[in-house]
Amino acid sequence: MSSGTVHAVDGISFDIDRGEIVGVVGESGSGKTMTALSLLRLVPEPGKISGRILFGEQDVLQMADDEIREFRGNEVAMIFQDPMTSLNPVLRVGFQVEEAMDAHRRFTRQQSRERVVPMLQRVRIPAAKERVKDFPHQFSGGMRQRAMIAMGVSNEPSLLIADEPTTALDVTVQASIIELLRDISRELRAAVILITHNMALVASLCNRVIVMYAGRIVEEGPTRAIFKNPQHPYTWSLLRSMPRVDEVAKERLISIKGVPPDLAKPPAGCKFHPRCRFRIDKCFTEEPPLGEVDPGQLARCWVLMKNIQDPESEAMR
Amino acid sequence: MSRGTLIYAAQRLVLISVTAVVVSSLVFIGIHQLPGNALASERRLNPATEQALLHHYNLDLPWPQQYVLWIQGLLHGNLGESLVNMGTQITPLLLRETTVSVTLGLAAVCVTVFVGMTLGTIAAIRQNTWVDYAASTAAVVGYSVPSFVWAFLLILLTVAPFYNWTGGTFYEDIGWGKPEQIPVPALALGLPYAAIVARLTRASMLEVIRQDYVRTAWAKGLKARIVILRHALRNALIPVISILGPLITGIITGSVVIETLFGIPGLGKEFVTSILDRDYNIVIGVFTFYAALVGLANLAVDLIYPVLDPRIRY
Amino acid sequence: MAALPQSLESSQEQLLEQDIADHVTLGQDAWRRLRRNRLAVIGLVIISVFIVSALISFVWTPYPTWRQALGPTYQGPTLAHPLGLDDYGRDILSRVMGGAAIALSVGVGASAIASFIGILLGLLAGFYRGKVDLVISTLINVSYGIPDLLIALVLVLLIGRGVGNIILAIAVTAWLGMARLVRGQTLSIREKEFVEAARTIGTPNAMILLRHILPNALGPIVVQATYLVPAAIIFEAFLSLLGMGIPPPAPSWGRMASEGYKALELAPHIVLMPCAALSLTVLAFNWVGDGLRDAIDPRMKR
Repeated sequence: MSSGTVHAVDGISFDIDRGEIVGVVGESGSGKTMTALSLLRLVPEPGKISGRILFGEQDVLQMADDEIREFRGNEVAMIFQDPMTSLNPVLRVGFQVEEAMDAHRRFTRQQSRERVVPMLQRVRIPAAKERVKDFPHQFSGGMRQRAMIAMGVSNEPSLLIADEPTTALDVTVQASIIELLRDISRELRAAVILITHNMALVASLCNRVIVMYAGRIVEEGPTRAIFKNPQHPYTWSLLRSMPRVDEVAKERLISIKGVPPDLAKPPAGCKFHPRCRFRIDKCFTEEPPLGEVDPGQLARCWVLMKNIQDPESEAMR
Repeated sequence: MSRGTLIYAAQRLVLISVTAVVVSSLVFIGIHQLPGNALASERRLNPATEQALLHHYNLDLPWPQQYVLWIQGLLHGNLGESLVNMGTQITPLLLRETTVSVTLGLAAVCVTVFVGMTLGTIAAIRQNTWVDYAASTAAVVGYSVPSFVWAFLLILLTVAPFYNWTGGTFYEDIGWGKPEQIPVPALALGLPYAAIVARLTRASMLEVIRQDYVRTAWAKGLKARIVILRHALRNALIPVISILGPLITGIITGSVVIETLFGIPGLGKEFVTSILDRDYNIVIGVFTFYAALVGLANLAVDLIYPVLDPRIRY
Repeated sequence: MAALPQSLESSQEQLLEQDIADHVTLGQDAWRRLRRNRLAVIGLVIISVFIVSALISFVWTPYPTWRQALGPTYQGPTLAHPLGLDDYGRDILSRVMGGAAIALSVGVGASAIASFIGILLGLLAGFYRGKVDLVISTLINVSYGIPDLLIALVLVLLIGRGVGNIILAIAVTAWLGMARLVRGQTLSIREKEFVEAARTIGTPNAMILLRHILPNALGPIVVQATYLVPAAIIFEAFLSLLGMGIPPPAPSWGRMASEGYKALELAPHIVLMPCAALSLTVLAFNWVGDGLRDAIDPRMKR
């Protein structure tokens, strides 16, 4: 790895309401996971977080050790990408769920013990009564992710972050996990941030979408608007680079040329300009602000897709 | 303990018995190839007495016949009679001494495991700080200093209180058996190996604290102590357990020296005495006991695995 | 070329340097890395000091190592006797120097013989596998079941207590680790393409073992052999301490310690001087061994 300071994430800010599911999309390395981890102050060494990370009124970086501990899993819970490695192999699944509740004393020890089985039933683990005593290796991948979800929601957090929750799973179980996430967020009225690079998943699940590129939000808005009228060239390219079942062979797929920038040496101006097909001179020198382009939809671009007559042929040139 | 584990343990016990018989047979045969008869040559005996003695110990028979008789005894748990102290039965003697050695050895293993894991864990969670460097340097120094040197240093460091407490440092004269006599020899025996355990624990911990499940534990909001001890250390210990076997053999080796040095009436001291006295019957007996002890210790270690790691089944 | 940004240019220079470095043999490269390891260098210096004093002790010691009552017995360090006098009034410095000669020859000798046995059996077991491996592995596993000190003690009893016999007795118990290591290395190297290639052109087995397999396992072997030296030195001290080492009046460190133990509180220097020499030597070899391990396989560096 090259040395130097990498600004993985810079100036990210967004609002989520209870019961809302917000999708955070972007290529790998665009800072999605870092955003989530820094909210819990879990950025791995030698990473550093500077500035402020506000959750509501609280600055996560200013919290004492006890406060951040109380915050983790209680205010904000996280579900990780790989359920195969995210559960402790030497502890019983039921215990790992119980432990999450015990940590915050929201329940008495007795209560948390009694809540484990219902919790597992709630995430639809069959024969939960028998399986509490199982170890993770006796669970399938899908079951493990259910257990992770049970652990995450056991303290009824106000925000649940799911980091690529289905990427490591078989296609057949992905849908059921997503369904579970949606139902459980409704039941608990928790806000959910779904980190993914799967646009189809976002389309089916999320109320709003945040598109990240090089550690910045480049576009944000209601899912429907973003999919219908993407305004940032990156969002546009992202959608055009994916096949869609409903538009068979009508449009050609367009790939995004180049690779995401090295965050140790980010380009001047708009971070996307080296890969942008619609760039103008200003993009090379000045970084655009995140401006409102339609009610509720924000984009960080000087050009905006609505100002381009025929993006398809423009992009083909 | 599951059925599979019991069957596994039973198989191992059979194997241990076979090993013990094989080892002691090899020693028996080896020793009977020595020139002259097994009665100590320093003693001048008149021919009639000597003949009577040889007959008493079956030494007048050809060695294959002696071997058969000895094996028959062994299968009945009878290791024969001391050549030097006529009338002393070896099996009860060695059993008595084994309890002494096992007590001391277990104390030493506790020292090793406790000191080693603590140092290793602290070094790992303070990686690349002065604490880590100090612990790592201490580890190399720790196992470069042999057990008997540790013994000398411990005695010198604790001279005054030590004397008042245990009444001396040579237990042959003052008697062995008080619990307060155990710490110093146990520390001397355990410290060199604690250094090895510390090194391994550190490396293993560094590996484990980067694992996803440890991140999950932090994300759940668990206390640091619980994350480190329950989630990280439990997993980090699994590879460390694998050296406990060789380590126990090492501690047994060390105990031969330490028991002799401190005059502790254990198997190790008995072995040295019997070698010096040319009391071959006891030498063979001690070999049998040690082979069984090493086997049992390794079996105990292997039975710890499934307790620590549920993925392992026998 | 001129348009290349600064960073790219410098990385090309690095590549070039790397290229030149590749022409240096692996051994030279490892030596260069070893020299940069501070503890290993200190270890080498300590070992050199002991080697030099051991060599000098053959022709000259401040006082004869056996001469008794040079002054008051149990006397602590003085100008005339920097390390003091022992219970018989012998000069401890002279005896520590003589002890260095014994310790080093036992350490190096036992390590060499044990390495030879271990390499030979390890190569055979790993290369021929099958029955050969079964016999050798069984031998190794059974031997692991007996504390090595017991075997050595019985051997000394059988073959006597001369320096050569002691070396032999230690070597016979110390080769197990080396054999295991070489066996494992051989098992993996024999599957490599270049061994396959040598086999297809009809290279005899002995040649494959010596030309292809052994040189490729040399790194770990050297490290293991280095670690064997301090282990053998400690072992010799154990034997002497138990009264089964090199017979008196030879000044073995272990014997000096065991003789001084009776007067540990009265005159601790009698015990501490040889113990310090012993521990320091062992520590130095361990440092060098650690340094070698890191230098030969940089990936293993902690």
